[in-house]
Amino acid sequence: MPKAFSLNTSPKVSSISRRFSFTLIGVITFILIVFAAVVILFDINRIESDLENRLEKAVKLSQNSLPIPLWNLDDMVVKEFVEALFLDESIVYTKISWKNKIIAEKYRNGFVYKDIDLDLDQKLHTGSKYIAKSSSINFKENAIATILIVMSRNSVKKQALLQIFGTVSLLILIVAAVWLTSIFITKRYISFPLLKLQEAASAIAQGDLETDVEKSGRDEIGVLAQHLDDMRGSIKQLFAELSDSKKRLEVHSRTLEQQVERRTLELAGSVDELKALGEISQVVNSTLDLETVLTRIVRHAVQLSKTDAGTIYEFDEEKQVFVPRINYGASAEFIAALHESKLSIGDQTVIGQAAVKRAPEQVADLSGFPEYPLPSTLQAGYHALLALPLLRENRLIGGLVVRRKAPGEFPVPVVDLLQTFAAQSVLAIHNARLFREVEEKGRELEIANKHKSEFLANMSHELRTPLNAILGYTELILDNIYGDVSEKIREVLERLEKNGRHLLSLINDVLDLSKIEAGRLTLSLNEYSIGEVIRTAVSSVEALAAEKNLDLNVSIPENLANGKGDEQRIAQVLLNLLGNAIKFTETGAVGIEAVVSNNKLVVSVSDTGPGLAEADQKKIFEEFYQADGSSTRKKGGTGLGLSISKKIVEMHGGRIWVKSTLGEGSTFQFTLPLRVEKQVEQP
Amino acid sequence: MKHLILVIEDQEDNRRIVRDLLVSAGYEIIEAVTGEDGVAAAKTHRPDLILMDIQLPDFDGYEATRRIKANPELHAIPIVAVTSYALNGDDVKALEAGCDAYVSKPFSPRALLAKIQEIIE
Repeated sequence: MPKAFSLNTSPKVSSISRRFSFTLIGVITFILIVFAAVVILFDINRIESDLENRLEKAVKLSQNSLPIPLWNLDDMVVKEFVEALFLDESIVYTKISWKNKIIAEKYRNGFVYKDIDLDLDQKLHTGSKYIAKSSSINFKENAIATILIVMSRNSVKKQALLQIFGTVSLLILIVAAVWLTSIFITKRYISFPLLKLQEAASAIAQGDLETDVEKSGRDEIGVLAQHLDDMRGSIKQLFAELSDSKKRLEVHSRTLEQQVERRTLELAGSVDELKALGEISQVVNSTLDLETVLTRIVRHAVQLSKTDAGTIYEFDEEKQVFVPRINYGASAEFIAALHESKLSIGDQTVIGQAAVKRAPEQVADLSGFPEYPLPSTLQAGYHALLALPLLRENRLIGGLVVRRKAPGEFPVPVVDLLQTFAAQSVLAIHNARLFREVEEKGRELEIANKHKSEFLANMSHELRTPLNAILGYTELILDNIYGDVSEKIREVLERLEKNGRHLLSLINDVLDLSKIEAGRLTLSLNEYSIGEVIRTAVSSVEALAAEKNLDLNVSIPENLANGKGDEQRIAQVLLNLLGNAIKFTETGAVGIEAVVSNNKLVVSVSDTGPGLAEADQKKIFEEFYQADGSSTRKKGGTGLGLSISKKIVEMHGGRIWVKSTLGEGSTFQFTLPLRVEKQVEQP
Repeated sequence: MKHLILVIEDQEDNRRIVRDLLVSAGYEIIEAVTGEDGVAAAKTHRPDLILMDIQLPDFDGYEATRRIKANPELHAIPIVAVTSYALNGDDVKALEAGCDAYVSKPFSPRALLAKIQEIIE
């Protein structure tokens, strides 16, 4: 029961019945007392006058009865008369006298004569204890005696007391009766029903709404009880409604909870989908291995669509059939069956239909489709099928099929989701195709490049043969082998020879470079003397330096160790560096220095030439580059020398670089491992 | 007495240059165009020196050198190989085949003459 209906124990209330009784009794008692007082007063008054009447009567009686005896002096009779008077218990004293002579006298015990003034004058005397009357007794209208009668008030008092006692007793009796009756009545008709009501109300307060409120009568309490019962009914109904709405609320909140749960699940599902899509697009973009990408796509497609198996087909345009490319979840037998089946556009399979419609196609239950062209599908237990065509710019490149054992339609969200997967598959296949093409192109390019290098190598060889003949003849003529030559012709021939040699060096450089690029340059790794190689190189350029009046400073330690490498090629590098240094330096000196340290040979060739700008220092090792574009023509040289030198040094596992400041000359340095055991392959 | 030099060279211009050079220097010349002819000429004329081109139409200069050097009667005849600059490692191969010296193409006539004179005298 709801807490709201439980009340605190009501404070102790004084009983209404008791208060009612007290009030009632009080009022009744008061009325009775007043009434009793009136009755008593009235009674006392009546007794008093009764006493006086008796006294009067006794006196009268005496006046009537005594004259004759008195007249006759019959004392006996008089005395008897007195005696008779004393029958009245109130008479306490009687005296019959004449002229101070007492004829008869009688008093009761305890009566004191003095008490009453007996100077009576026929009047009634009243006192606190007694009343008295004296009268003359006449005979023939002559007074013959006087009579005095005294009555005691005692009897009056006694009677009055008795009367009071009776009245008070009655009063008490009445009060008690009224009290008891009132108690009984209040208890029976008020307190008890009220108690019942209280209990009922308290029970209601405690939450007991089932027990009927006892309706004892048609009086106010009965009405009250009726109202209370009505109230109970209302509360009960209210309760019922409340608990009903509470129930409805619970149901509602449960529904809400379920909704939240369902939404959470859906959300989790969406998150899974998003994650899968994210993963797939990441894989599509980062992995060019089509197998890996498609495997992931099929796996996610099957898992997220809650199906049992999936296949990605590639469409073979030439044969016009779908070739299963990647399978997930299917048995080897079923996959084999797929490979045997020649599914094509327009056949009755889902993929065939999807391909025609260029839209997703599904079969909710294959068992209602006995003529389905791929019976192995149903044999493998798949009932529901969904196929999506893979389209690239409206060209069919394949299909995605998922199969589920449980029959039933595929809901729209699943179809939508799988379309995304299909799109990703298209992208993956397309990427892979592009990559294949790029790779093929790259390979072709590489082959073409090799062909080019080979062509250049062969070509330069072919070019050199006639050039050699030209130079040979020129030299012979200049040596006067064919007779004396005039100075004029000699000069022309010398120019011819110079140009021929330049052409030859050009051809040689091209040949070297193309050989290196074609991978046809192999180093002859042999023992060599570093000092000797340097000295030979220096001696072959001495004449050139001398021609330009340049100092040639050689600084090499006395006993340089022997190295291992391609002596001829190292010499070629040295000659190239020295030749360049001399060629570009107009005044000053060219120096060559060699040191061996840490099993490394370090050679520096320095000059006092124009120097190189920072930007040129790297490019200078690139093919056909010279700092000043015009200098190739002015200074001769191919612009290939440094590039070839760099390659030769690197093939030895060394490094070459230049340090230079514009206007302050340059220093070319290269290092070689002292002993090269293996040629370093050029990338 | 004039020294006899056998020039085995398939290229006419080269032959002519060598001939002109050596004749003017006072040598006697025999020429052969193919390897086979060259080996035969060596047997017939027993030259004082053989100038052997490596690239020959039938078999190459190495093979010709091996054949000549294999003949004990001809073994002592010095052979100078004319190697191609283009083909790497020819020099080593020439020495392995039995050549006594080599000059690289393109040769300067003066340098060739100096080399020959160095060997013969």
